[in-house]
Amino acid sequence: MPRLAYFSFVLLFCLLFAGNVLAQTYRITGYVRATGTNEPLIGATVAVPALSLGTSTNASGFYSLQLPAGSHQLQASYLGYQASANTINLQTEDQTLHFNLQPTDNQLKEVVVEANSLVQKLNENRMSVEQLTSREAKLLPALFGEVDLIKTLQLKPGVQSGGEGSSGLYVRGGGPDQNLVLFDNALIYNPSHLFGFFSVFNPDAVRNVELYKGGFPAQFGGRLSSVLDINMNQGNNEKIGVNGGIGLISSRLSIDGPIVKDKATFLISGRRTYVDTFTRMLNKVNEGNKDYSPIPDYYFYDFNARLDYKPTPKDNISLSGYFGRDFFIFSDSDFKFSFDWGNTMGVLNWRHTFNPSLFVNTSLSATGYKYSINNKIDVFNFSLTSDISDQTIKSDFNWLINDKHTLLFGAQATKHAFTVGRLNFDSDDDRLSFNSGNDYNASQFGVYVSNDFKVNAQLAVNYGLRLSGFHNSGKLYTALEPRASAKYSLSETATIKASFASMMQYIHLVANSGASLPTDIWFPSTKRVKPQRSQQVAAGFSKLFGDGKYLVTNEVYYKWMHRQIDFRDGANLFVNDSLENEFLFGKGESYGNEIYFEKIKGRTTGWLGYTLSWTDRQFDEINDGRSFPTRYDRRHDISLVVLHQLNKRLSLTGAFTYGTGNAFSLPAARFAFQDVEGEDPTVVPIYTDRNSFRLAASHRLDLGVVWKLKPRRGEADLTFNAYNAYNHRNPYFVYFEQLKDEQDKKTIGFRAKQVSLFPVIPSVTYNFKF
Amino acid sequence: MKRTLFLYLLPLFVLAGCNMEKEIEVVLPEHEPQLVVECYLEDGLRFEATILESSSYFDAPTPPVVPSAEVYITFGGQRLKLKYSPGINNVTRRYYTHYNHQLVKLRPGDVYSIEVVDANGRKVTGYTTVLPRVPIESVEWKFNDKDKAYILTTYQDDAATRDFYRYMTHRDSLQRGAYREFATSDELTNGKRTSYGSGYDFEEGDTLILSLYHIEEQYYNFLRSVDDAKNANGNPFAQPAKVTSSVQGGIGIFTNLAYDRDTVIISRPIN
Repeated sequence: MPRLAYFSFVLLFCLLFAGNVLAQTYRITGYVRATGTNEPLIGATVAVPALSLGTSTNASGFYSLQLPAGSHQLQASYLGYQASANTINLQTEDQTLHFNLQPTDNQLKEVVVEANSLVQKLNENRMSVEQLTSREAKLLPALFGEVDLIKTLQLKPGVQSGGEGSSGLYVRGGGPDQNLVLFDNALIYNPSHLFGFFSVFNPDAVRNVELYKGGFPAQFGGRLSSVLDINMNQGNNEKIGVNGGIGLISSRLSIDGPIVKDKATFLISGRRTYVDTFTRMLNKVNEGNKDYSPIPDYYFYDFNARLDYKPTPKDNISLSGYFGRDFFIFSDSDFKFSFDWGNTMGVLNWRHTFNPSLFVNTSLSATGYKYSINNKIDVFNFSLTSDISDQTIKSDFNWLINDKHTLLFGAQATKHAFTVGRLNFDSDDDRLSFNSGNDYNASQFGVYVSNDFKVNAQLAVNYGLRLSGFHNSGKLYTALEPRASAKYSLSETATIKASFASMMQYIHLVANSGASLPTDIWFPSTKRVKPQRSQQVAAGFSKLFGDGKYLVTNEVYYKWMHRQIDFRDGANLFVNDSLENEFLFGKGESYGNEIYFEKIKGRTTGWLGYTLSWTDRQFDEINDGRSFPTRYDRRHDISLVVLHQLNKRLSLTGAFTYGTGNAFSLPAARFAFQDVEGEDPTVVPIYTDRNSFRLAASHRLDLGVVWKLKPRRGEADLTFNAYNAYNHRNPYFVYFEQLKDEQDKKTIGFRAKQVSLFPVIPSVTYNFKF
Repeated sequence: MKRTLFLYLLPLFVLAGCNMEKEIEVVLPEHEPQLVVECYLEDGLRFEATILESSSYFDAPTPPVVPSAEVYITFGGQRLKLKYSPGINNVTRRYYTHYNHQLVKLRPGDVYSIEVVDANGRKVTGYTTVLPRVPIESVEWKFNDKDKAYILTTYQDDAATRDFYRYMTHRDSLQRGAYREFATSDELTNGKRTSYGSGYDFEEGDTLILSLYHIEEQYYNFLRSVDDAKNANGNPFAQPAKVTSSVQGGIGIFTNLAYDRDTVIISRPIN
C-alpha cells in the first residue's frame, strides 16, 4: 500500500503542474449575491460568452476568472434570479466586480433555469449531479401536501424510492445507508421522519440540494453510492422576514433577519405535525367503548437555526444547528410504551479568504442519531437504546493557481462513539435485572487533493486522490480512493463526459428490512467486519438544442460493490452482544442507462427522465451462492414533471411516475406444523430464492395547483395537491391468506392478496411570507 | 371547530374508507414435495412420528400423508421401526402417522437418530442428544391493588454449558393451547439464577401449569426460523427466512423433550 500511495501522489503532482505557460492575463474576482437579502449565491454562473469562458461561485458566492487584457462583458446568472451583465476593461491590473441578482417576479419563474444555467450544466466538469432548490420542490405536488426535497430528488433519473411514500434514496443500486447526507457540512445519519415517509429537511430552512450519483469529488468520502449536499438558508440581511405554512398534517414557521446590518444574520425555523391532536380527540370521544382500540400518539418536530457573522471582509463564520425527534407513545393503566428517535447536529463553519486565489473552509461539527424504546408492563421495565455520535473537524482549501488549474485539498478527522443495542430489563422490586449491549469508540480520517485542469477550450479534467482510514479496537484500515473526471466539448452545444470514482464505507447500517426503520443500527468496521468498497465508471453525452431551451443528457454507468453486508436467515439484530456473527459478506453490481430531457424556457417547463438499470447482490450463504436482485432493482423507471404558468397568479404542476415493480420474496410452498401441544397445525411458509418475484409495476400521477393570493402584507398562496390523482392501487406488498370455513373454522384454501398504501389523497396548504 | 376537524381529517377518512387490498393471481414455480418430519421423544411415552409432505402453496389443504414412508429410530445399538398407522395420541393430543409401542426412556447424554425413507427414494436423517431436565426452583406470585397477580418462575442456568429453553404457561389444562410461550437462550443470563415473569394477568383461584423445556440448539433454531417464516408472510418489513431444520434431506424437527413442570393455584398469602 505505501508504494501505491507514493506512486499515486507522484503521478498526481506531475499531472498537476503540467500546465501551460500563460500569456498576459489579469484576474477578475468578486461576489454574486441576492438583491434584498444579500445572501451569497452558491454555484452561480459567471461567464464571458464571447470567450466561451465561465466559472461558478464557491460556498461564499465568490468567483474568480483569469482573462486576457481587453474589454469583456461578464454575465452572472443563478437559478430563480434574473441574469445580470457588466462590462469591464482589463488593461493594467487585476480587478473586482460584484453582482447583485434580482429574484424573479413570480414563483414559477423562480424555478426556470435560465439558459446560462443550462450552458453551465453542459460545460461544467462535473457529471452525474442533480440539483434542486427548495423553491422548485415547493411547486411540485406532494403526499399530504408535505413538501419534501428528498422525494423530489426521487423524480430524477438514477434515483429511486424504496417504496411508495418512502423518502429513502436508492442511488444507482446503492442502499439508503450508502448515501453521505451532509447538512451545512455536517453528517445526518437518519434523514427521515415517520418510518421513512418524510425527510427531516424542512423546506423553509433549506436553500438547495446537490446530489452526486457518481463522479464524486475527492473531498467527499465515507459512503459508497451518493453524496447529498444540503445547504441551509442564510438569514435575510436587509429586514426581518417571517414565512411559514399550515398544512394537512403539519405546520411550519421560520423567522430570519439581520442582527447587525451587513455583519450578522439569523434564521430560526421549526415545524411540527399535529395528527396526534386529532387522534387524542378521537380516543377521548371513544373512551369507554370496549370495541375501540385507542390510537397511539404519533408526532414529530424539528428545528433548524443558523447564525451568520462576517467579522471582516475576508471571514465568514456560520453556526448551524438541527434538532429533530419523532415520538410514538401509547399508555394505559398497565402498559406504557414510548419510542422516540431523531438526529442532533451542530456545526461551526469558518470560511477565510487569504487572497483572491486562496480560500479555506474549516468546520467543527458534532452530530448524532439516537433511538430509544421504553416499555413498562406492570412492574417490568424494558428499554432498548442505540446511538451514534460524532465529532468532526475538517478543512477544505481551494487554491486558484491560474486560469487552468484549481487545486482543492484538505483533511478531516472524525471521532465516533457507538452504543449498539443497549438493553436494560428489570422489575420495580429489583428481582429481575439484566442488560446487554456494546460500546465502540472509533476514529476516521481522510486526506485528499484534487486538481481541476482546463487543458484547452474543449478539454477539462479533474483528477484527485483521497486517502482514508478507520481505526477501531486496535484494527486500522486504510485505503486509497482515486477519483477522476473529464469533459470534452464537441461543439458549443455538445459535450461528452466520463468519470471514475472509488469509494470506501467504514460504518454500516444494520438493517434487516427493505425499509429505513428508525431501529436500524449503525455499526463500525471491526476486525471481522471489513469496510465496504465501490468503484464506479460513468460516461455521458449532453446536447443543448432549441436555442438553449432544451438539454438532453444520456449517461451510462457501471458500479462494482465489494464486501456488501447482509444478514443470515433468522438473524437476531436487536438484542445480541455478538452482532458481528450475524453478518454475511458478499458483492454487488449495478449498471444502467439514464436519459434526462429538460425544458427550461417558456411558460411550460419540466423534465422527463428514463432509467434502465440492473442491480444485484451475491452472497455465498444466500440463495446457495447464486446472485439475486435487490428489492429496489428496477428495470424501467420513468418520471415526467411538467410545470405550467397559467397566469401570474395560477400555476399548474404535474408529476407522473412509472416503475417496474420491486423484487420481493414469496413462499413457493408450505408445510403443516403441529408443535408439541398438538394444536391445530399451523401453516409454515417455505421461502426459496431471495427476491425471485416481482410486484406489479407502479404508476401514479400527482397534480398540483399553486394559487397566489393578494394579502395586505407580504405574499401568500394556497397550494392544492392531489396525490395519486387517478387513484391507482400501487402494490406495497403481497401476502398469502389462509381461507377458513365459517362454520368449522377449518382451512379450505389459500389466496394471494396485494396491499396498497395510498389511494387518491387531496390536500391543501396555506403558505405565507412577509 | 367540528367542521374544521372534519375537513382536516377528510383525507384520512378517504384513506381509511378505501379498501387497499385486492386478490391477485400469483404464478408459483413448480414445487417438488419434500418429506416433513415432526418427531418428539418424550420420557415414558411411546415412539411416535409424523411424516408428511410439503405442498405447493395453493394446493388443496388436505393432509399430505406418505404411506410409503418407513421410519427407523436408532439408539443404544437398537434400530426400531415405526409402523404406519395414522392416529391421534390422546395424552399429547398430537397427530402421528407412525408409531412403535415401545416406551421411550430418556437418559441425559444418550443419542437417538432417525431415518425416514420412502418409495420415491427420498431419505431424511437426523439425531438428537438427550438433555438433562432443568428444575423449576420456585414459582411465586404477587398481587396488585386490582386483585391481579403476576408470576415469577425461577430456575438456575448452568454456567458451563450453552443452554436453550422454552417456557410455556397453560391455564387450567394442557389440553388447551399455551397462554404464553417463548424460546430463549442463556446468552444474557449464563450461569445466573433466572426468572421468567408475566403481566398482572392472573386472579385468585387460577390454576397454572408452568413448563420449562431444556431444549437443544437445533430445536431452538428450528422454532425461531418457523416463527420468522410465519411472520414474514404479511409483514413488508420482514426479511423472509428459510426454515432451519434439524434433519437433513427434508424439513422438520427431531428432538427430545426434557422438561420440568409445576402446577400452582394462585392464592392470597395467609397473614
